[in-house]
Amino acid sequence: MTSESDRDDTGRGIRQSMSDLHTWVGLLLGWILYAMFLTGTVSYFKDELSQWARPELARLAERPDAAVVAQRVANTFDKIAPGTSQWSVRLPDDRNNSAYAFWRTAPREPGQRGFAEGHFDPATGERVNSRDTLGGEFFYRFHFQFHYMPVVWGRWLAGIAAMFMLVAIISGVITHKKIFVDFFTFRWGKGQRSWLDAHNALSVFGLPFHAMITFTGLVTLMAMYMPWGSQVAIKSPAERQQMQAELSPFVQPGKPTGQKVPLASVETMVRQAQERWGHDNIGRVNASLPGDAAARVVVTRGDPGRVSMSPQYMEFEGTTGKLLSVRDHVGIAAETRGVLYALHLGRFSDTVTRWLYFLVSFTGTAMVGTGLVMWTVKRRQKLPNPQRPYFGFRVVERLNIASIAGLSVAMAAFMWGNRLLPTTLAGRSNWEIDLFFMIWAASLLHALIRPAKAAWIEQLWAAAALLALLPVLNALTTQRPLWHSLAQGDWIFAGIDLMCWVLAALHAHLAIRAARHQVKAPAKRKTERQAAMAAAQSGAAE
Amino acid sequence: MSHLLAFTLSLTGFAALACAMNRQQRDLFGRALPPNTTRVLRLAGTAALLGALGLLVVRYGWGFGLVTFSGHTSIAAGIVMSVLIGYVRTQAQKPRHR
Repeated sequence: MTSESDRDDTGRGIRQSMSDLHTWVGLLLGWILYAMFLTGTVSYFKDELSQWARPELARLAERPDAAVVAQRVANTFDKIAPGTSQWSVRLPDDRNNSAYAFWRTAPREPGQRGFAEGHFDPATGERVNSRDTLGGEFFYRFHFQFHYMPVVWGRWLAGIAAMFMLVAIISGVITHKKIFVDFFTFRWGKGQRSWLDAHNALSVFGLPFHAMITFTGLVTLMAMYMPWGSQVAIKSPAERQQMQAELSPFVQPGKPTGQKVPLASVETMVRQAQERWGHDNIGRVNASLPGDAAARVVVTRGDPGRVSMSPQYMEFEGTTGKLLSVRDHVGIAAETRGVLYALHLGRFSDTVTRWLYFLVSFTGTAMVGTGLVMWTVKRRQKLPNPQRPYFGFRVVERLNIASIAGLSVAMAAFMWGNRLLPTTLAGRSNWEIDLFFMIWAASLLHALIRPAKAAWIEQLWAAAALLALLPVLNALTTQRPLWHSLAQGDWIFAGIDLMCWVLAALHAHLAIRAARHQVKAPAKRKTERQAAMAAAQSGAAE
Repeated sequence: MSHLLAFTLSLTGFAALACAMNRQQRDLFGRALPPNTTRVLRLAGTAALLGALGLLVVRYGWGFGLVTFSGHTSIAAGIVMSVLIGYVRTQAQKPRHR
């Protein structure tokens, strides 16, 4: 790098300035990015985590017929929400063992937009009483809007972080000049060099993914970040409705006629959609103004196997069941957005692809983590007094501990909370979330008062212990222990139990390595001493 | 099945490409391989990766195919590198034990 700047007399070389940019852009929002990456990574198994979080809901051995379930839930709505202006049911599938629905609670009153939500038993269509929890949905929402702040702020923060990430990726690629020459290079036990090699490998192997996920992440919320284009182009309410139809299958309810006419057979409508898209390829059933003469029913296509989130749906007249329209494709701009959106969420994935998403995303998390740690590794050697580092160094060091090791502890604690908090607790799902943040805050406090190395080791061990014991807790508090899940072939529960052990082993490994780091310290000091002696000798020679 | 085949192709592809690299040849074989062998390895590795891409695109279409290709290659490259690290480390320890 010195040669670079030597060559460039007018200033520092592009690589050096890109390297500085990479370092500081990466650091400034690195902790937020790490949290976004890790919670986003586990969100690829959001539905599985949500099933795990509601052990009362029985496992579905077979995927139920969407048409029958849709009719059952529609019948239930006649009882529990008569006069609602809109309901929407996500039908059970291979990853969801219940039908989940939300509906408007303030029927047809202007200015009010209350929603209620619930899970429904596919076998009966009745609402099920499960513990109040967000499950995997919490990590998913936290991933792009955080918590304890207005949703809009959180999404802006996520957008700014994603922009920083994009800058970090591009500047990182420019800084790392020998991507192909160093492709498989790893120099073991060389301190900073090894960290750099690891960071490079984690970044380069997943580079297509990291670039894609960051860019598409921005696209998912682009209408919020940059609304001006559509504001200029689209003015009348009719146009706005048309644009909405390009983006989403949720039609705004029209004006009710006031004339009461019951819904025609929802089952028959879903059957028509099944004929078109396949028996097991139905996503949602949305009804607007059910029970009114102006009712409409929309049946949407499922996500699997289709790399696009653009809505595909069939619209039916609610009272007669007559097919009104079929939307198979959208405009090219909307489809571009639909594809990029789908790439980010990966909901089209089969099981193998979902695991690929999870694993590569995990390397992305590790990429951010190694980058953060490297900032301290690089500077520790140059500290004038390693016992008393300067303030900025200490801040970064402690924040690293809390945001990396502490987040693992907090996420595991969230799952412990799911099993341990009493089901009768008022506002239970909020308590789970509060617990997550309390533990995370405690980990920061712990990182501040303990010596850095001890804090790393203790928190990594704490995460390992919480994860390792989670399957035990699950066995004690639910009817679905690991041996039962394995015998039943319930791979969602068994998979989460086993993954907890894999992750516990990973954290234990990191804890042991962090503890061993002490052994290496004298060796490093020795080389320093040798260097000092060499310097002294050369000084004496002069 | 296509997933497994594509993954195997990616894995062998990256293994061949790694063996075609200077530093890795010294680590693995203790010497640089003849230029012709290196060239064949590089060709074979590239062909295997392109084969994986072709297979996935034919099987799943461009959208899904490219996504899965990117996933398989990332994981395969990671595994090849882990194996290389493990191999080099065990080799480095052996003489000391003797």
